[in-house]
Amino acid sequence: MATNSLKKSPGWFDVRRRSAGMWAFVLNRVTAIGLVVYLFIHLVVLSSLARGPQAYDDFIELVKSPLFIFSELLVVIGGLYHGLNGLRIALTSFGVAVPYQRQLFYVFLAITIIGSLIFAFRMFTAV
Amino acid sequence: MEQNLSRSDISVRKTGESTFLWFLKLLTGLLVITLLFIHLVVNHMVASEGLLSYAEVVAYLSNPWIALMEMSFLVIVVTHALLGTRSILLDLNPSRAVLRIVDVTFIAVGIVSIVYGIWLIQVITA
Repeated sequence: MATNSLKKSPGWFDVRRRSAGMWAFVLNRVTAIGLVVYLFIHLVVLSSLARGPQAYDDFIELVKSPLFIFSELLVVIGGLYHGLNGLRIALTSFGVAVPYQRQLFYVFLAITIIGSLIFAFRMFTAV
Repeated sequence: MEQNLSRSDISVRKTGESTFLWFLKLLTGLLVITLLFIHLVVNHMVASEGLLSYAEVVAYLSNPWIALMEMSFLVIVVTHALLGTRSILLDLNPSRAVLRIVDVTFIAVGIVSIVYGIWLIQVITA
């Protein structure tokens, strides 16, 4: 039964020759999945707090490495895009700014790119 | 293609998603943005070093209002994450039986995550 369900996968992740609207949708999905994975990893990792100061402080030393900082940057980029696109979806779902949704997408995408560059600069120069 | 366009531009209810769950997903999404903003501001004001030591985390969570905010954030973000994941799985057209298993699993994961998070805050501040 589950196998039959999986066979009906809609292939939404294939964005070749698709419109800006479809790109917005797929980016929203991809960032959603990434953020959900991050959320549960984050919750598991925070268990180091229950193991006392040494365990937490050791973990913090580990996350100061460039690889972890880059991973955190991906979370920031995903969070920025997903949050802003979510606002656009909420607005248009309630009939607000519907004729301007494409422009909103491009504006929010620009904010995501600029914001990500600022975060990247601050995160990597703070090491 | 047209169906994809309308789906991408406006959040619509899907088969298997009640109006209540659709609205709850939207509402928790807006609350996540609001609480995340408050979380970042409070974090910056109270823990200027960025909670990079155990002592700083304990001091941060010792404020009952901050602990309450973090617990609320946890409840809302877990709810939004699970509703969103369920929404993605609905695109695979699951049968009623599979959807029931997904629902029960997600409710269990949600409850465990929230209870675990609240327990963690209690342990740290005890």
